[in-house]
Amino acid sequence: MPLDDDLEDNPSLAPPPATTNSTSDPSTTMEEDIEEAEDAATADFRLFASTYSKTKNISAQTIRKGEKDFESHGTRAQQSALDASREAMRDVLSYTRVHHTAKTGGWCRGWIFPDWWREWPEDWEEMKVKEAEEKRKEGKQDGDDKEERKTLPPPRRRCMAVTGLPKDRPARGREWLLPEEALYLVERGSLDLWWPTRGIEEIFPADGSVPTTTTALPKEDGGQQDDDDEEDDDDDEYKYGFPLSLQAAYALLIGEDGERGKVSLQKFQVFSNLKRAGYNVIRAPSNPLPVQEDNTQLATAQAKPKSVTEWLISCLPQSKSSSPGDPPPYGPLVPPGLYRSYNTIYNHLSLRPAPNQQLPSSTPSPPTTSPSSTSRENDTPFKIHYHIYKASTKFVRTRPPPPDFYLSVIDAQQTSVPSFSEISNLLASAPADLPKTEWLTGGPGRLYARLKHGYRNVLLAVNDHGVINYMRFAEGGFRKEELFRGFDARISPGPKRGGGGGRGGARGGKFSGNNGRGRRGRGGGRGGGRGGRGGRGRGN
Amino acid sequence: MASTEDDRQVRISKIAGRYLVFDIDDVAYIRRQHGICAVFTGTMPQNPTQNVFLGLPLELYAEDAKMLLDRKVAYIADDPLEHFNKLKSMGAETRKSYLQSIKTQRRTAQLVFDEAKAQSQARHKDKRKPKQPPVVVPTELPPAPVADNTAVEQEEGGEESLFESSSSKPVKTAPVALQKPPVKEKLPALTPTTSNAMIHNGTSNPDVENHNVLPLYSYLNERGYFITPGLRFGGDFSVYPGDPFRYHAHYMANSYGWDEKIPMLDLVTSGRLGTAVKKSFLMGGQKPATDDSEAGELRAFCIEWAGM
Repeated sequence: MPLDDDLEDNPSLAPPPATTNSTSDPSTTMEEDIEEAEDAATADFRLFASTYSKTKNISAQTIRKGEKDFESHGTRAQQSALDASREAMRDVLSYTRVHHTAKTGGWCRGWIFPDWWREWPEDWEEMKVKEAEEKRKEGKQDGDDKEERKTLPPPRRRCMAVTGLPKDRPARGREWLLPEEALYLVERGSLDLWWPTRGIEEIFPADGSVPTTTTALPKEDGGQQDDDDEEDDDDDEYKYGFPLSLQAAYALLIGEDGERGKVSLQKFQVFSNLKRAGYNVIRAPSNPLPVQEDNTQLATAQAKPKSVTEWLISCLPQSKSSSPGDPPPYGPLVPPGLYRSYNTIYNHLSLRPAPNQQLPSSTPSPPTTSPSSTSRENDTPFKIHYHIYKASTKFVRTRPPPPDFYLSVIDAQQTSVPSFSEISNLLASAPADLPKTEWLTGGPGRLYARLKHGYRNVLLAVNDHGVINYMRFAEGGFRKEELFRGFDARISPGPKRGGGGGRGGARGGKFSGNNGRGRRGRGGGRGGGRGGRGGRGRGN
Repeated sequence: MASTEDDRQVRISKIAGRYLVFDIDDVAYIRRQHGICAVFTGTMPQNPTQNVFLGLPLELYAEDAKMLLDRKVAYIADDPLEHFNKLKSMGAETRKSYLQSIKTQRRTAQLVFDEAKAQSQARHKDKRKPKQPPVVVPTELPPAPVADNTAVEQEEGGEESLFESSSSKPVKTAPVALQKPPVKEKLPALTPTTSNAMIHNGTSNPDVENHNVLPLYSYLNERGYFITPGLRFGGDFSVYPGDPFRYHAHYMANSYGWDEKIPMLDLVTSGRLGTAVKKSFLMGGQKPATDDSEAGELRAFCIEWAGM
């Protein structure tokens, strides 16, 4: 799984390996994994305290002793170990977020204007995205009096990590953050969120000029230094507002689903979980733009014949089977005769047309196929909420590339398993993500990789009171992966495929040995061999 | 300690239908006294790029909130509303006291910084001290202990005396000494974790919406079990025999209705699943209230996979 939540954390921080039994039997890797996951759930803060501050006298041995017991045996040692853990938890969590003015990261102050966006009638998220885009285009000079809403820190390095701004951008423009972004920054101690006691016009005058009377404002580049000089003057410092607590930030930024200017707690938790893990996350636009992706990839790859002879052969039965539904009313499905290819036989055997023959071709994401039940569709929680980019993906906020993952956030307690229409709508809103072309070449190719990958996929983040699991829903086409084509390829060695027939036949697994073309041949042989059984089963 | 904790009222912030606790003292209290560990959900400001150790706020189950309410040790506050009202119409003296508390915290933070800095410098000196004697042998020894003693109170003096003696590394120490005055003048900005300074006594807002509170939860809690979400292991709850800091979960629990029909396959599934993660599968249900008896009896059973 590309997005396994707990296991890809910093290994140095990971708790010591699982305890009770798993140390004795290293063979059961799966169980160990689970035990590790559990350890993560109840991470002992003593370890954290020891990694965080070196002044704490916690030796490696203490940590080692921190292994869990099976049950309480009422000893004082056990109790003191527990007390130590709790004390460490308390120590670590009593930390107050302090913004070092002297530190290189600087002090990043944000203002919250909860009323500002109220008059904007449209869907807010959309608004936000658009405005942000516009603002960037027209330059940041007059960004303040426009629209948008959340916070306006002069963007500094840390903020850029979140918003993905180009580095060379002057620290002058005001950046509006989404609620989850602002809250995430506050939580990680990178943003000082302030409540304004004056209007936005006063704090950030429309003309973008620096209000000369108010040196205390974090206005422009270099303003920080001026700031610091004035800081002792209390009146000036709190003239325009005052800092908010983390609790207040939660209270102001977390809301019900769909509440404007807020984000639901589940989504925020998933967002920050992914951010902590290093992904770039942006909110999916509520009306997804059709992603222009060519479906030619699959079409050509599928249509491309592997060899001329095979192509010829595959042509014949398809023309025959293109008129399905006319098997003879009685008698064997495969009439007696001379067959030179498996394709013909299998086509005779297939009685039903594939149900979703055209599905993979509908590559561009249409705005979710809305039948009559649009209202119900809006209620469904199965929507794409976030676009996720791997840290390695080159990412520019203004022109985000196609996302690496599409994610939908689900509450574990309130939602049940998606219905078929829900899941197909969800999948339809994601653009096609076709299997790699390499997987298609040569017979069955990497059949299982292809099936597993599917034509498109969406990640579901299931959130149970802050514990998050990620799973992937993919749309695959079993019917598209016709195993029997591989059989023919083996029987009639085309000019492209070296080696030769050998034993051929349905037991393709044996074939790999005498194929001259190392890797590709092996993959083909294995896939065909294993799949052969399945193919037969279905054929009946 | 327990006596001071006796009259503690835990503030449970209800935000968007979720129950959060922001105060670390509250967190420690309910963990110690009420066997509620719940889930930390916040990012750790000390190390924000990992997902193993998480921090405040703590997210409670609705069951937790209800239990604490029933025990009269907590109140539920409508945080968004309270905050918004408070911020919208903040009285002069409230504002003043709030700002005052923030200022105090900032000063404290500054003190802590200075102290830490002094300590680190002292340690730095300690480290460097052994190196110096070989370089400039006996005459320099007297100043060093003096500097050490006075280090905490006035590092400047210590710094300088060391500075003179350490001919080897003057370049490194100089910027530190120069930087110090400006640092001391300004206080660091900070974000308090709770709004306690602003909202002193929350108005209790007792209506926990009927959130389908599962009786099994409080049943297990009353018997000393700690409970965390079951998502990791595929049940409703993971049940620990004590504080999860010390123990692994013993059970994977599911709650059922009293007359609910449980498909045999579910038992097999859950039983196998529980065995696979080295837990035993626990299920429980409560007798529904009847006309003559209101508190239903609760029964719980354990299923283990018999490896025949």
